[in-house]
Amino acid sequence: MSCTEVNPGASVESVLVTTDSCENFEQMSSSLEEIKNYVGKSPEVSDSSTSVDNLEESNSLNAVGSDDDYIRSKDWLEKKKHIFVLSSAGKPIYSRYGIEDKLVTMFGVMQALVSFVQDQNDTINCIHAGSTKYVFLNKNHLILVAISKTEESVPQLVSQLNYVFNQIASILTLTRLNKIYEQRRNYDLRRLLSGVERIIDHLLNFYEIEPALTLGAVQCLSLPPSIRDTISSAITQACSKIKNLVFAILLANNKLITLVRMKKYAIHPADLHLIFNLVQASESFKTVESWTPLCLPRFDASGFLYGHVSYLAEDCQACLLLLTVERDVFFTLSEAKHKIVEKMRRANCLEAINESLNSTDGTCLNAGFPELRHYIYKSKSTAQFHQPEISAPYINNTERLLMLYKRAHRRLHSVGRPLKLLFERSPQEAVLAWDTRGFELYVILEPLIETSAAIASVGKLLNWIKKREDKLFHLNAPTF
Amino acid sequence: MVNGMATGESSMDDEVFEVDGCRNLEVDGGHQRTTPSPTGYRDYKPPDEVLRLCETDHLDDTEYLVHKTILLGDSGVGKTSLLVKFDTGRFQSGNFSATVGIGFTNKVVNVDQTRVKLQIWDTAGQERFRSVTHAYYRDAHALLLLYDVTNKTSFDNIRAWLGEIREYAQDDVVIMLLGNKADAGVERAVRREEGERLAREYNVAFMETSAKSGQNVDLAFLAIARELKYRQSGQKDENRFNVQEYIHEKLTQHDSKPQQCPPCNT
Repeated sequence: MSCTEVNPGASVESVLVTTDSCENFEQMSSSLEEIKNYVGKSPEVSDSSTSVDNLEESNSLNAVGSDDDYIRSKDWLEKKKHIFVLSSAGKPIYSRYGIEDKLVTMFGVMQALVSFVQDQNDTINCIHAGSTKYVFLNKNHLILVAISKTEESVPQLVSQLNYVFNQIASILTLTRLNKIYEQRRNYDLRRLLSGVERIIDHLLNFYEIEPALTLGAVQCLSLPPSIRDTISSAITQACSKIKNLVFAILLANNKLITLVRMKKYAIHPADLHLIFNLVQASESFKTVESWTPLCLPRFDASGFLYGHVSYLAEDCQACLLLLTVERDVFFTLSEAKHKIVEKMRRANCLEAINESLNSTDGTCLNAGFPELRHYIYKSKSTAQFHQPEISAPYINNTERLLMLYKRAHRRLHSVGRPLKLLFERSPQEAVLAWDTRGFELYVILEPLIETSAAIASVGKLLNWIKKREDKLFHLNAPTF
Repeated sequence: MVNGMATGESSMDDEVFEVDGCRNLEVDGGHQRTTPSPTGYRDYKPPDEVLRLCETDHLDDTEYLVHKTILLGDSGVGKTSLLVKFDTGRFQSGNFSATVGIGFTNKVVNVDQTRVKLQIWDTAGQERFRSVTHAYYRDAHALLLLYDVTNKTSFDNIRAWLGEIREYAQDDVVIMLLGNKADAGVERAVRREEGERLAREYNVAFMETSAKSGQNVDLAFLAIARELKYRQSGQKDENRFNVQEYIHEKLTQHDSKPQQCPPCNT
């Protein structure tokens, strides 16, 4: 192919951290302490000690009797993918389906499996039983388990478990989580996580419908570059004098509009996904201006950022988050938000956002690629991806489309035998996947297409994206 | 004033907030000056009493008194629903969505020809948000403490909440205890008398409310606004205004209507 030189959407500087693997916190990109110290302020401990006094009881043992019936219920057994979280002492914390209390015995078994292997100074990763995979992720004090009959690979399941763990850390901070269990191994964590089940449920569904999480990248709302720059500068101007503001994030419909950051700091896509998920899962943000603590585990798992969260306006459903390390600057940020909206309104940015949100002409066909059904292009250096509108025959079958992408992704990134290029033809469609240094490309084509024609149109597609890269991607990395 | 905002970015405390209130006042004042004099004489301003007489609801030139009110109580007792009902008049059933952190709403109400701006903080009930919400207790003028009459635990926790309030809030904060979801029939787990008794014990105002039926929702907020207004304007003469008596009076006024919540005896 002649077009390896073309590398659309690449950028020297990225708003997003572009490391792979969502696994550990060892490579934290930055620290809250650093930001605070930089401004010469004494760091505050952002941890509520009140709760420690009344760590009491757990009524997980109340549910006796029909436990077995429950586990054997057809409905429950037929679920394709179960996700469980338990403490290392075996206390139930979360189950995707059903009530944890009724599954106590099963949680016991899971804990036993993990500790049995641990006794031999080893770690259990997964068990394959027929088409069912049992995947374990052992974090310091928590055990996360996925039991899946889906096609997803073990690394893909581990990545989901990591997301769940990060979600929990995002609510409590890792430091607090560790502290709680160091003080009481037997603690019932559900007490601190009430209301979070919904967010975790949403996250798991999110993983199933959004390619973003599998890809470890973020999609941007396509906007004329001048509009995106105007928005960014509206934010920069309104916030330039506010100390300790770390990130300003504007998003709509799970797409990033812009991200302005403090110098030196970037945000990890996995953290951004948690933010997207939180915004989408929380109806309450829609009605009022909110102020919420939020830990971004990949950014700094030890403490909270505080977020001013609000939608821009009744007539523009884009959500603005202003994240700071100060815990009591709600009104400063509220003021800044109003200034930002005013500026954006004067520059007609709200209309531009709405127009892009409502447009439906972004299909492959409209772009002049009748032989392509759908594609995903991920630019590695910016951790951003682009996909067209979903068109026939996948409009009512996005699951299948996503399954094709997951399968292709799995094969490119297979641990044992990673592929650079994949072309696969089935009676339904042809799939081409290509992994280069600069990008990953996944294309779904008509099943009868010639190989040479497929390669030619992929080349054409890359040039097409290249031409529009400043519209489809967030290439500047503006700072305050 | 604008400078104050731009440079005072260190932290937003009470002071800066009051400045915000003043600004409204200034802007409104300016507005007043540009309107033609009602008498037709330049620069003639009728005495205040006369002006007050011609005040109507849609005049913008009345002064704002701004007060901070916080909604507190366990998760799921209906704090957000109560606020949404008061703010918009709507009740969304079956749409449970926990508040994340703190939500912020401004609402202007009329109390005896004065516009009182209530700045209402709706807090998340979950324990993990306590450290964030505590920071806002300090500046609050009034606290609406809710429990759910169908949930005994939420009622039992009221004492703990009152303890926290004592610890973190100002001493003279106005507290009102509300038993929400009063429309619940057989599911009720806390009798009204129990709520009354607890309120009397702690010497706070009490009523039962229902965000669903709208029962006492406006009354709760208006009583708070009224109390705050009288306190602010220095008429904090004990006999002059008393929330409990006011509520009592209001509730008895409507005796003709079938009342789910009979007047409280204070």
